[in-house]
Amino acid sequence: MTLRARLHRYGPPVLGVLLFCLAWQLIGAYRLAGMTWPPLTAVLAYLADPAHHQLLGRAAGTTFAAVALGYLTGTGIGLGLALLTRLVRPARAGIDRLVALVHATPAIALAPVFMILMSRETIPVAISALAVTYLIYVAATSGLEATKAAHADLFRTLGARPLTAFWRLELPSALPALASGLKLAVPVSFMGAIVGEWFGASRGLGLLMISAMQNFQIPLLWAAVLLTTLTSLILYGLLGLFEAAVHRRFR
Amino acid sequence: MTRLSQFLARNWAVLLLLALWQGWVSLAGLNSIVLPAPWPVLRDVLSHPALYLANAAQTLATAAAGVAIGLALGALVAVAAWASRLLAGMLTPLGLIFSSVPVVALIPILARLLGYDISTVVAIVAVSAFFPTFVFVGAGLKDLPRGADDLFGVLGASRAARLRHLVLPATVPNLMIALRITVPEGVLAAILAEFLMGRSGLGFMFREAASRFAMERALGTSLVVTVAAVLCFSLAHRAERVVRTRWS
Repeated sequence: MTLRARLHRYGPPVLGVLLFCLAWQLIGAYRLAGMTWPPLTAVLAYLADPAHHQLLGRAAGTTFAAVALGYLTGTGIGLGLALLTRLVRPARAGIDRLVALVHATPAIALAPVFMILMSRETIPVAISALAVTYLIYVAATSGLEATKAAHADLFRTLGARPLTAFWRLELPSALPALASGLKLAVPVSFMGAIVGEWFGASRGLGLLMISAMQNFQIPLLWAAVLLTTLTSLILYGLLGLFEAAVHRRFR
Repeated sequence: MTRLSQFLARNWAVLLLLALWQGWVSLAGLNSIVLPAPWPVLRDVLSHPALYLANAAQTLATAAAGVAIGLALGALVAVAAWASRLLAGMLTPLGLIFSSVPVVALIPILARLLGYDISTVVAIVAVSAFFPTFVFVGAGLKDLPRGADDLFGVLGASRAARLRHLVLPATVPNLMIALRITVPEGVLAAILAEFLMGRSGLGFMFREAASRFAMERALGTSLVVTVAAVLCFSLAHRAERVVRTRWS
C-alpha cells in the first residue's frame, strides 16, 4: 500500500479518535459540562499515580477474575447445551425456548434468585456466565447447522461414522460462527460482572464506580470506567483478530 | 392432543425449571423470606395490579422514549456520515468502539453528569440505543443497491433527491434491525438506571422490595420485568419481520 492509500484508509479513523480525545480534554478543561466531567489528562494522571494503584488494582483483580470465570463458565455451559441439542435433537425446541427466555430476562430480574442461591461474591460470576451462555449457545447451534449439505452427503455416502463426521466436518464448519460468538461475548461478560457487583459485592470495579458516583469522587469514577472499558475493548480486539484468522482458515 | 405435545416440546425446559423451584421450596421447607414458591409470587402480582401496572408503565414509557431518541439520533448521524466520507471515516470507528464496550459502565458517569432524574434515565437508554443504531444504519447505507445508485447518477439526480428517494428508504430495514437489538438493551438500561438512582419504576420497586426482604414483591417485580421484556422483544422482532417483507 502506498503512503497515500494508507493515509486515505487510516487517516479518518485516527483523526476521529484524536478529535474525540481532544473534545473530552477541552470539555473537561473548560468545565463545559460542569464539575463532573474531568479532562482526559486528569483521568490518565489518576490512573498513572502509584498512590491509587493498590485500590484500582485490587478492584480490577476481583472484577477481571469474575469476568474470566464467568466467561469460561458461560462458554462451557453454552457449548454443552449446544452439544446436547445436537445429540438429543427433540430437546432442541425446549432448550431454545428456555435460553431465549433467560436472555430476554433483564439481568437485574434474576438477581433476587441469585441472592438466595449463592454468596454475594459469586453473583457477578453467575450473571456474567448467564449472559455469555446465551451468545455461545446461539453461535454454536447456528454454527453446527452451517455444515454444507453436499459435504454432509459426501461423508454419509463414504460411510463415515457419525462421530467422525462430527469431528471432521460439523465441528470445523461451526468454528467461524463460534469465533464470532466468543468475540461478542467479551463486552457481555464485563457487563454481567459489573451489574452483578451492584447487588452487594464487597469489592470490584463496578462497586468502585457506584461508590465514587455517590461520593463525588469524579476522577476515580472516570478512571474505573475507563479501565473497565479499555480492558474490554482490548480483549474484544484480540478476539477479533482470532475471529479473522478462524474465518480465513475454515471458510 | 397434538397441540399439547407441541406445547410440551417447546416449553418442557421452562416448566421443568418451575417444577424444580416449587419442589425445592416444598422439600426444603423454606419460608417466604428466603424463597417464596411460584404461586405466592404470582398472587402478589395479581392482587396488586395497580402498583405493578403503574411502575411497569413508567419504566416502559421511559425506555420507549430513550430508544426513540437513540434511534432517531443514530439514524440522523448515520445519514450525515453518508453525506461526507471524512465524517464517515471519523465516526465509524468511534461508533464501533462505543457499541462494543459494556454500556452499563457508562450509567454511573451519566448519572453523575446529568443528575438523579428521570430525564437521566431516558438519556442513559438513548445512549445505549444510539451507537448500535449508528453502526447498523451506517452499514446499511454503505451497501446501497449498486445499480440504484448508478441509475440516480446517470439520470443526474441531485444529492437531495438521492437522499430523499434512495438513502432514506434504505435506512428503514436497518433501523428495524437496530430496533430489535436496542429494545432489550433499552429495557435493561432503564431498569438498571432506576435501580441505581430512580425513585419510581420497576427498577426502584425491585430495590425497595429487596432491601426490606419482601421476596414475594421482589420476585413479582422480576416476573413483571421478564414478561414486559419478552413482550417488547417479540414485538420488535415482529415489527422487523413485517417491515422487511413489505420493504423489499
